[in-house]
Amino acid sequence: MSMNEQPAWDGRTYYNEPQLRAAPFNNALVGGYIFLAGLSGAAQLLTTVMDATRGPGAASTTRRGRYLAMLAPTVGALCLILDLHTPQRFYNMLRLIKPTSPMSLGSWVLVGFGVTSTATAVLQFAADRLRGSRLRGVARITQVPAALAGAFMSTYTASLLSATSTPLWAAAPKSLAVRFASSAVASAAAALGLGERNDRRRRDLDNLAVAALAVELAATLASEHAERQVGIDDGGKQSAGRAAVPLVLLLTSLLLPGFLGRAVSTLGSVAALGGGLAMRVDTLTEGDTSARQSHRSLRFAQPDNLPRA
Amino acid sequence: MEMHPRVSDHAASDLDRAIADEAELTAGIRIRPGRSYGFFTDTTLCIGCKACEVACKEWNNLPADGIGLTGHSYDNTTALSADSWRHVMFIEAGVRDDLAQPFQSGWLMMSDVCKHCHNAPCLEACPTGALFRTEFDTVVVQQDICNGCGYCVPACPFGVVDISLLDGKAHKCTLCYDRLKGGLEPACAKACPTDSIQFGELDELQERARRREADLHRRGVAGAYIYGAPGTPGATGGLGHLSAFFLLTATPETYNLPRAPTRPANRIAPSLAAGIATVFGLAVAALSLFTRSAER
Ligand code: SF4
Repeated sequence: MSMNEQPAWDGRTYYNEPQLRAAPFNNALVGGYIFLAGLSGAAQLLTTVMDATRGPGAASTTRRGRYLAMLAPTVGALCLILDLHTPQRFYNMLRLIKPTSPMSLGSWVLVGFGVTSTATAVLQFAADRLRGSRLRGVARITQVPAALAGAFMSTYTASLLSATSTPLWAAAPKSLAVRFASSAVASAAAALGLGERNDRRRRDLDNLAVAALAVELAATLASEHAERQVGIDDGGKQSAGRAAVPLVLLLTSLLLPGFLGRAVSTLGSVAALGGGLAMRVDTLTEGDTSARQSHRSLRFAQPDNLPRA
Repeated sequence: MEMHPRVSDHAASDLDRAIADEAELTAGIRIRPGRSYGFFTDTTLCIGCKACEVACKEWNNLPADGIGLTGHSYDNTTALSADSWRHVMFIEAGVRDDLAQPFQSGWLMMSDVCKHCHNAPCLEACPTGALFRTEFDTVVVQQDICNGCGYCVPACPFGVVDISLLDGKAHKCTLCYDRLKGGLEPACAKACPTDSIQFGELDELQERARRREADLHRRGVAGAYIYGAPGTPGATGGLGHLSAFFLLTATPETYNLPRAPTRPANRIAPSLAAGIATVFGLAVAALSLFTRSAER
């Protein structure tokens, strides 16, 4: 009997028992890593763009960006290792390269990003202490591969989640990737903007964060639309606020002059960072719930949701 | 079923060594590397005795799991897990119709197992290579390599593979890899008293299943169909065929099976493309913002 001859599903489940297994991740650790990977990766990328356009004039911003990029290879990598159920074998992540596994690809991207970002940060540190050295020039070279790896760091984690059978992560692979990528750029701009004493550069960074948050907001609405389309929307809480709140704050700050503007900008940047972290952790938790609810996973696996050939 | 002539060589039940190619006597085939093996689980023959669950636990030394009563049916195992690699489901399909054939009881029973998918999502997700395809075309976790990352768990479209909190490694049915190497058929199939679980070479099993399906249709079981063979429900969305496939008589969802599962790895490329495009788009926005105000 072919698929179309099958009687339609009447909506009943097997005693409400889960049909899928939720990921056995510690959502604080993995969500924390996804956030830090995005923050560090995008910070390296923005720093490189800043260095290319402003040069030595923006040296203080560049320095902070390069140090910020060290969060993922240090704290982030530690989160990942701690999340393993057999952490002493963490090095098995580098036994092979597997194109069908975003976790395998991501491990290699993390290594590449870690090596190039560490080199850039160390060169920065040394150049600040050895006057007249050529190290600054070398850092301008090493930052380029670091920035490219940073672009992948900001977004591969979304592919990692979408390449599973968890309904909420699999439902809208493209908009999830856009959300993670834009949120990464927003949090990097916000983090750089927080410590920025130069008013013009702070405004530039705030403008960039506003653009990224607007993209994130649009992609969040697109995700929710896709979830309704495939029939797995749980009618639950709206998640748009995590991007909308910092967006409104930062927009307001751009209209306000002087001290008031700076204060609201600080608030907006903190909200962007907090929203970025919360979005990652909530995505993990809500995905786990969707995997445990068989009425949603069985609905997601109906033929009308098959990719068009 | 006729007896294999070699059976009479082994009259004593107390053996001093393993019988060479024992599967030839119990399942009618010689197990050879390089060929595809699988399970055909014919649910119309299942009597819900759970011999498969017990045989699996015994052979594979699996710890007890989920001790307690669910209260909803005779199913107290509830799901496949790190410690339960066969799971017999009990579905109360309404009051028994007295006009029905004797084999059509009010209960549907089905022994679930890892499907050993052709494009196995767990294997494709595994970043360490612990999950691999064996010389028998089955999917197995190498316990000495698994680092317990847990990524195979959400990858599986059937909720099969699971991390054990006892040892921090992923576990699932191995299709008795060790027994196949020794010429024995898998423990569950050998133990099944009604041959609801049949082990064999995949081509032959699929052929047998089609014959059984046609036979059941002839005998009036119009709803009998195959799940997991090429072109049937379960073998969808780029997964390819399932090496452990089933003959069912109610909708897939009745047995907690997805009707049209998909291959997760097919989502990587569109997702990566969209993400990278977004990052570079925003990097260009940064470039123009920073350049503009540098000129001012
Ligand atoms: S059913 Fe699940 S565990 Fe078994 S081979 Fe397929 S993906 Fe892997």
